[in-house]
Amino acid sequence: MKILYSWLKDFIDIDLTPEELAQKFTELGIEVASVEKKGADFEGVNVAQIIQIENHPDSDHLHLVTLDLGGGKTQRVVCGAPNVAVGQKVPLARVGARLGKNVLGPAKIRGVVSEGMICSSDELGLTNTRARGILVLDENIPLGTDVRSLYGKSDALFDLEITSNRPDLLSHLGVARELSALLNLPVHMPQIKDFPGQGESLRVEVRDEKACPRYSGRLIRGVKNAESPELIKERLSAMGLNPKNALVDVTNYVMFELGQPLHAFDRNEIDGDVIVVRRAENGEKFTLLDGRELTLDENALMIGDQQKATALAGVMGGQNSGIKENTQDIFIESAYFDAPTVNKTSKKYAVSSDSSQRFERGADIGMTETALKRATELFVAACGGTPSEIRDVYPSEYVNPVVRFTPAQINGILGTDIADETLKDIFSRLALHFDASGAEWTFQAPSHRRDLNHRWDLAEEAARFAGFDQIPAGDSRAFVGFSDNPKGVDLLEIFSNKLASLGFFECKNIDFLGEKELAAFGFEPKNAVKIKNAMAKGWDYLRPTLLPSLLKNAEFNQRRGSADLALFEATRTFALAKGFPAETYTVSGVLCGRLTGRPFFQGQADKPDFFFLKGVMQELLKDFDAVSFVPSQNAPVYMHPKICMDVLVNGKKAGVFGALHPLTLKNNGLKAEDALAFELSLKPLEKSFNAQLFRPAKAVAQFPPSLRDLSVLVNKQTSYADIKAILENTPLSVALRFDLMDLYEGEHVPADKKSLTFTLAFSAPDRTLKDKETDDAFNALVQALHEKAGAELR
Amino acid sequence: MTLQEFQNACSEIEREYTDKISSAADLASVEELRVAALGRKGALTELLKNLKDFSIEEKKTAGPAGNALKAALNDALDKKTAALAAREMNETLNRVELDLTLPARPLAAGRRHPLSVAQKRMTDILSKLGFTWAEGPWVEDEKHNFDMLNIPKHHPARDAQDTFFAQTGSPLSMVLRTHTSNVQSRFMEKHKPPIRIMAPGRVFRNDSLDATHSPVFHQIEGLYVDKNVSMADLKRDLSAFMKGLLGDKTEIRFRPSFFPFTEPSAEVDVKCVFCGGKGCNICKGTGWIEMLGSGVVHPNVLKNCGIDPEVYSGYAFGMGVERLAMMMMNINDIRTFYENDLRILNQF
Repeated sequence: MKILYSWLKDFIDIDLTPEELAQKFTELGIEVASVEKKGADFEGVNVAQIIQIENHPDSDHLHLVTLDLGGGKTQRVVCGAPNVAVGQKVPLARVGARLGKNVLGPAKIRGVVSEGMICSSDELGLTNTRARGILVLDENIPLGTDVRSLYGKSDALFDLEITSNRPDLLSHLGVARELSALLNLPVHMPQIKDFPGQGESLRVEVRDEKACPRYSGRLIRGVKNAESPELIKERLSAMGLNPKNALVDVTNYVMFELGQPLHAFDRNEIDGDVIVVRRAENGEKFTLLDGRELTLDENALMIGDQQKATALAGVMGGQNSGIKENTQDIFIESAYFDAPTVNKTSKKYAVSSDSSQRFERGADIGMTETALKRATELFVAACGGTPSEIRDVYPSEYVNPVVRFTPAQINGILGTDIADETLKDIFSRLALHFDASGAEWTFQAPSHRRDLNHRWDLAEEAARFAGFDQIPAGDSRAFVGFSDNPKGVDLLEIFSNKLASLGFFECKNIDFLGEKELAAFGFEPKNAVKIKNAMAKGWDYLRPTLLPSLLKNAEFNQRRGSADLALFEATRTFALAKGFPAETYTVSGVLCGRLTGRPFFQGQADKPDFFFLKGVMQELLKDFDAVSFVPSQNAPVYMHPKICMDVLVNGKKAGVFGALHPLTLKNNGLKAEDALAFELSLKPLEKSFNAQLFRPAKAVAQFPPSLRDLSVLVNKQTSYADIKAILENTPLSVALRFDLMDLYEGEHVPADKKSLTFTLAFSAPDRTLKDKETDDAFNALVQALHEKAGAELR
Repeated sequence: MTLQEFQNACSEIEREYTDKISSAADLASVEELRVAALGRKGALTELLKNLKDFSIEEKKTAGPAGNALKAALNDALDKKTAALAAREMNETLNRVELDLTLPARPLAAGRRHPLSVAQKRMTDILSKLGFTWAEGPWVEDEKHNFDMLNIPKHHPARDAQDTFFAQTGSPLSMVLRTHTSNVQSRFMEKHKPPIRIMAPGRVFRNDSLDATHSPVFHQIEGLYVDKNVSMADLKRDLSAFMKGLLGDKTEIRFRPSFFPFTEPSAEVDVKCVFCGGKGCNICKGTGWIEMLGSGVVHPNVLKNCGIDPEVYSGYAFGMGVERLAMMMMNINDIRTFYENDLRILNQF
């Protein structure tokens, strides 16, 4: 809402600078988006011409400038501006001149007395550009001219951000009322000339009293459209409106002044003598003032005559009934329309106007008649004409609820100790009726404050007008109890920290992707959460997987010169489960290039391979029970068909890891021969996490183990997992630990075989093993490997 | 040899070898001295041969004196050997020429995202202030995101939040939550006071992506409901929160504002941490920086959640994570957080 300082002064005698007033607005909770100063706020500055420039004896950038003041008088001043030149006409402020709040005195600058100054545009308060350099005026302006006359009256335009609960502040009157309560100054309502009505108005028939609880209107006959008076034109221009003619301008003027939206119809376009306020028919067509054609439904509220509609109530008039240059008789509508009705209509048909913005927030039902009279006065003054009687359909008078409360309750909400007298003072300034005679006080707000309905609202008013700095920082209070983080939250944090310590960088991405990506990653659109009003194509769905985003991040960084990438993201993913949105915490990662560590003077770092990633997965899942990795039978389409493992938790799939399919790399623009990826869903893992509480330590061996090396030849197809299972499951009378030391195929090994070498460590908890015990165990393993896997000792 | 002569000879050997050992210059000279004093033909060995000629009484004096001298010389020789060996080792070490200014071996160490770092800092402080972590869905029904929070249908306050609508099989109209405040309605519906929770997480607004707007961003919500909770409690806790976040000297101020789910509502500013309140570019010359929105929980919100506003009262606040991170990490484009450029990620 734009508020013009000079207009505000019609209603309240304030004597504050624009800066001080802006500060008051801030204290009241009205955000000031900008303050634009207009006109001249200085006195005693006249036009002079530079006739001579000498160097200052004691400075290399200051000059001694002699000016012709006109009438044969000259004046010498010190000037440091870089753009000063002989012949320029400039604004000269002499001793005694006022610039804003400062009165100019003589100044001694580096030893030379200067009895005046040549002003810059900023110094005159005309701009706030911090540009150096004096203001150079048009050379045709006569010497001695008062510079103020070139710039008009001083004024300021405030752009205020009015929150949706305070529609009453969408007018100069409203803002003045707010300031009056703060500054304890009276509000002067304009003296409105009251015309005795001559002749009948149109009759008004309101068919929906809920949507239109009050409708005031009157005719003015015999008007002659004219240009608006200067004041109205000036003020509307300042508000950013182009003045058109009085019949149009006055309605806007009154709205900005009193907050009441008005609408003027051309009487001759209204058939008959009844104004009808009704719901639209389903399918009814209506053409707006701006030419747009709407097809309406029964939720829209219409103004019209008995045949047709002439306005979309509270939103915009129709093309068929607008004021024209030659309109002779006008009908002025000053009504109150129900806020949700106007909001629905304005949103549904995407039509917004100054009028709809006021109605949908809530106008002042008590203002319709006053505004009508004010408009009448201004119309008649500009265009002549004879006003009719006023028709005011207001079947049941609106009253705000009476709020009952005690001052202690107000202080209780705020945690303050505001004195009763102060509270009484504040509430009496805001109330229509206020009674503090009993222990319980009663407060009833005037019609323009529908937002004051209970004591919490009054507490806010008390704090605003007493000052929010009255609220102290309270005493410390008891602790309310302990509860642990949701499990998913902690797991996400644990995974993220582990991944960061293993060399991965955390990424965060926008949660949207498109149908193409869904398909590329094997998801069906019908199982994904779709955004009905997506911002952009390709952002139509919530992510069921984080990998497409991470691949984009990898590609982005590759283009910026980082070839070695280890990235992860940990956040929620989305799917539809039986139609309902299901959210799961997911952790995913992508690895390509070399490991981050690359000591140039000690050779190249290893390229992470599948087994590096497997190590990462093992480390991530170390504290989880019942986790196993098995080669994927059906790897996801984006993964390498043979280098991909499923992560199982209690036999249930919790994710995959392995090499990405080369086409995935290509389609995502990644320049790498191979890359690795993983994606884990946390939901199945939550229950198997075992490190939340304390765990007992396992005893460590006290006696040294007996070590043996074991080399066996097995068929190439035999997997390590098979051999491992045999080693683990062969019953032995001693404990066994084993490590795979070597895997070899090639010379000295038959073509269909491979050689595996293990270090075996045999031990017992209570003694050092005898050689025979170790030999027996070793032989039992060799025999088991031979029987179950056809292994031969090498 | 008399006992007196024996004792004199001992003193002579002690004096002579103590001097020589202490001035020995290298390990070889120490070994020579060891042989000269204690070797088979050494001075002390030779002297001790005289012991056998002494009477039993004399032996009781001369024997321990001779052995003590032997032990003392041995000890002095060992110490000298150790000292010279250490000196020689140090000389060897001092000949090492390694350029320690070469770059460090880059370990494969990753980083958390700056927004995670900022959020962690915030949740850590709130957790110390007794707030426990609560969560809510990101795909939310309109009832929990709006209606229960006193943001009625057909009200401009609801229009102001550019909402994404989700297409699901739910009979309810689903949106991507526009704020973390849905956790308020979710939590209060299920729990009775006292309640003291924080709810960090992502929120969504159908807003253009530019330097200061992102359709996805992060908030952190705080909610405290108990008997007699007031604006003063809010001020105390937010003051502690901001001190934890920005330093002990941080000052806050309340400014009146409007949010549908709080009454009274306050915008909270902190005194500019960059200029100390004098006014600078970051605080746009005002000396204060807007940090978060807050207020006393609106009685309608409590009622909607089944909590009696005549018995209980509460406060709530909500703060943007990006806003804080941008300011404190000197990032002036919100898109930076979602580009994931390693050169940025590597800094936090």
